Amino acid sequence: MTTEGLLPALDPVIHAQPRLRVMVALAALDAGDHITFPRLQQLVGMTAGNLSTHLRKLEDAGFVEVVKAHRRRTPVTYIALTESGRRALEDYTVALRALLTTPEHQPHQERSP
Amino acid sequence: MTNISSADDGSRVEEQGELSPEESLALIAAQNQEATHSLRVDPVPILGMWGVAWLVGFGAFYLASPKGPGPLLPTWAAGVMLGLLFSAAVGVSVGQGVWRGRGIEGPSHQVGAMYGWSWLLAFAGLYAVNLGLIHQGLPSGLGPLLWSGSSLLVVGLLYLAGGIIWADRVQYGLGIWTLVTGAASVSAGVPGNFAVLSLAGGGGFLVGAVLTHARARRAPRTKAQP
Repeated sequence: MTTEGLLPALDPVIHAQPRLRVMVALAALDAGDHITFPRLQQLVGMTAGNLSTHLRKLEDAGFVEVVKAHRRRTPVTYIALTESGRRALEDYTVALRALLTTPEHQPHQERSP
Repeated sequence: MTNISSADDGSRVEEQGELSPEESLALIAAQNQEATHSLRVDPVPILGMWGVAWLVGFGAFYLASPKGPGPLLPTWAAGVMLGLLFSAAVGVSVGQGVWRGRGIEGPSHQVGAMYGWSWLLAFAGLYAVNLGLIHQGLPSGLGPLLWSGSSLLVVGLLYLAGGIIWADRVQYGLGIWTLVTGAASVSAGVPGNFAVLSLAGGGGFLVGAVLTHARARRAPRTKAQP
């Protein structure tokens, strides 16, 4: 059996271990808060290069917001989940639960009006 | 240039990371618990430290009082003990806030900083008022009651505020308990007020620490679902 039938319902940007980790860690922040790059790195346990690669993909998808600022003349990178990122993660978890409750693994069907 | 090898590393992780729905949900729960644990201030050591400080510090004052069970230690020794224990408790409280909030910017950081400063400002105001009253001729025998009663009023109100800000019932309950303890300490008179502060005040914090610990042990299972 292939997973092609069930995958379309899951957002491929989120459905990858490292990016899912980043999204969940960012979702644990209070609304409106931003986290520095090194602290996020510590929360998800990834190398700096690995984390920036995945952050770029999440940023391209519009799920995270990366802001570069200067604090006492040192550059600091702040990261936060965007509103659409928060919604995408919610939709993703809803889709996961739906997949678990339907043993047939029916593909997601679009309903047109 | 180091980014290139890291990028390769990243896509490799991605390819092997084909998660089943079960694995994904387990990962979400684990990562959420880990992040929440690392980001949230842990009230248990804070409440525990304050509980010990009140119990031992004010207990020492009770034992040092000539009108109590006979002075078992000099008053200056009790003062030193209370000072050291309270400094340690302030250190634990501020340290928790600073350590857990490192690398975080935004509304929660601002709220935490404002709440921390509120303690300093409130006690500065309390000192000014009390020293003013003493200067205006308040009988010196009322000093201990003035300080304990007014301090507990301020502490109680700040705990109520903390309970409101972080929607924390234990903290709010502790605020109510502190207000009751403050009133009871004044009615008890000297040196009974020190016994009330030690046992009811310190005991209240320790009960708060135990309740918070019990709640935290129960919480992860239900909180893991975002």
